[in-house]
Amino acid sequence: MSFKKFDKFIDFILLTLAIAPIVFIIILQVLTKPESTGITVEGARIYFTIPMPIQPLPITEAQVNSLAVLITIFSLCLYLTRNMSVKKPTKRQHLAEWIVEKCDGLVKNNMDPYFKNFGPFIASILGLSAFSSLLSLFGLFPPTSDINIVGGWAILVFILITYYKFKCGPIHYAKSFCDPPLLTPLNIISEIATPISMAFRHYGNILSGSVISVLLATGLAGLSNLLLGWLPGFLGDFPFLRIGIPAVLSIYFDVFSGALQAFIFAMLTMMYVSGGFPAEDFVARRSRLSKANKK
Amino acid sequence: MQTLDIISVNIWHIVISLANLVLLFLIIKRFLYKPVKKVLAQRQAEIDKNYENARQAEQGALNEKLRWEEKMSTAKKTADDMIANAASTAQLRGDRIISDAKTKAEGIVRRAEEAAKLEIKNAHAEIKKELVEVSSELAEKLIKRELSREDHQGFIDSFIDGLGDGDE
Amino acid sequence: MLEIAVGIILGCCALGAGAAMIAGIGPGIGEGNAVAKACEAIGRQPECKGSVTSTMLMGCAIAETTGLYALVIAILLIFVAPNLFVNILLKTIGK
Repeated sequence: MSFKKFDKFIDFILLTLAIAPIVFIIILQVLTKPESTGITVEGARIYFTIPMPIQPLPITEAQVNSLAVLITIFSLCLYLTRNMSVKKPTKRQHLAEWIVEKCDGLVKNNMDPYFKNFGPFIASILGLSAFSSLLSLFGLFPPTSDINIVGGWAILVFILITYYKFKCGPIHYAKSFCDPPLLTPLNIISEIATPISMAFRHYGNILSGSVISVLLATGLAGLSNLLLGWLPGFLGDFPFLRIGIPAVLSIYFDVFSGALQAFIFAMLTMMYVSGGFPAEDFVARRSRLSKANKK
Repeated sequence: MQTLDIISVNIWHIVISLANLVLLFLIIKRFLYKPVKKVLAQRQAEIDKNYENARQAEQGALNEKLRWEEKMSTAKKTADDMIANAASTAQLRGDRIISDAKTKAEGIVRRAEEAAKLEIKNAHAEIKKELVEVSSELAEKLIKRELSREDHQGFIDSFIDGLGDGDE
Repeated sequence: MLEIAVGIILGCCALGAGAAMIAGIGPGIGEGNAVAKACEAIGRQPECKGSVTSTMLMGCAIAETTGLYALVIAILLIFVAPNLFVNILLKTIGK
C-alpha cells in the first residue's frame, strides 16, 4: 500500500520536473525582461558572459531555454516509460510506444535498411525542434530562432552525412564530387550549402513567425489606440484588439510552423544521410572484402 | 539588458547546441527507446510463445485425432474380422451339423435298408422254408399220387430253381 | 551633412530590404504550382492522400528556402545593417 503511494509520489516528482523548467524560464523572463517600446526585433537577451578562448561565451535566453527543453524531455521520457508492463499497458505507455513506433516507421519509410537504428536520433531531432519552437506559445524566446542552435544541429547532420559518405573509403568520397567532372566546384558548393540551407530554413521560418507576430501585435496596438483611444483613462490605453486576434496567427506561426519545421528538418536529415550513403557500392565492397578475407 | 544581434554567430553556442542534440540523442536512446523496445520485445516473445503453444496444442489435437481415427479404423477392421470369423465359424459349424445330420440320416437310412433287406431275407427264408414245407407236403401228396421217379426229380428241381430265382 | 548620409544609409537599407522580399514571388508561384498538382493527384488517387500531402509539404518547405534567404537578408538589412553601416561611416569620417 505504501509502495503505491510512493509510486504516485515519484510520478508527481517527474511531472513536476517536466513542468518546472518551463515555469522557471517564464519566471526568469518576467523578472528580467525590460518593458518593450515599439517594434523591437532582437536576438536572445544575454544573462551573463563567460570569457572563453576564441570568443566570449554569452549565456543567453536561447541557451537557458534549450537546456530547459532538454530537462523537460528527459523528465517526460522517464515519466512515460515508468511502470511499463507487457500485459496491461497504461495510457502513457501507449504514448511512449506510439512515439517509438512512429519514429521507427518514419526511418523505415525514408531511409535505407542499413540505417534501421536511426530512430532515436530522428526522435531527438523531432522532439528538441518541436519543443523549442513551441516555447513561443508561452511568449518565451524559441531557441530555434537563434541561428547558432539550428546551426549546431545542421553541422551535426553534416558530420553524419560526411561520415556515411566516407564509409566506402576516401577515394569513393572524392569520386562522388566529380560525377560530371566539370561540375566539381558546384558539387562542393552544394555539399557545403546543405547544412547552411538546413539551418537557415529552420531559423528563418521560426524567426519570420516571431517577426510577424511582433509586427502584428504592434500594429494592433496602434489600431486599437486609434479606434478606442477616446475611452476615458486606462481603457483608452489598453490595446483591446490585441486580445484574441494574435492567437489565430499564433496557431499557424507557432504550432503549425514549428511542428512542420521540426518534421521537415527530420525528413531532410533522413534524406540527406540516406541519399549520401552509397548503399549499393557499400554492399558490393563489403561482399568483396569478405570474399578476400575468406581466401 | 544587452541582447545579441538577430544574426550573430558564436562558435561556443554552436558547439553547445550540437552537444545538446547528442546528449538528447543519448537520453532518448537510453531512457525512451531501450525500455520501450524491451517491452515490445517481451510482448512479441509472449505472442510468439502463445502462438507456439497454440500450434503445439493444435498439433497435439491433430495427432490425437489421427490416433483415434486409426484406432477407429482398426476397431472396424477388428469388428469386421470378428464378424467374418463368427460367420465362418457358424458356417463351419452349420456345415458340420448338416454333414453330421446327413451322415446320421444316411446311416439311419442304410440301417433301415439293411433291416428291410434282412427282413426281406428273413421273409424269403421263411417263405422258402414254407415253400419247402409246402413243396414237401406237395411232394408227399404227389408221391402219394404216384408219379414216376424222373418226373418227380425234375419237378422238384425246377421248383427249387424257380425258388432260387425268386430269392435273388 | 552627416544627417543626410545617415538618412541615405537608412533609406537604402529599407529599400534593399523591400527589394529583397521580391524573392517572395518565386516561392509563392512554385508552391502554388506544387499544391495545385498535389490537389490534382489527390483528386485522381484519393487513396494516396497521406503520402502526397507529406511529399508536398516537403517540397513546399524546400521551395520556401529561397524566400527565407530573402527574408533573412531583409531582416539583416533592417535590424543589423544600419548600425553596422553607420558605424563604418563614423569610423571613416574619424569621429
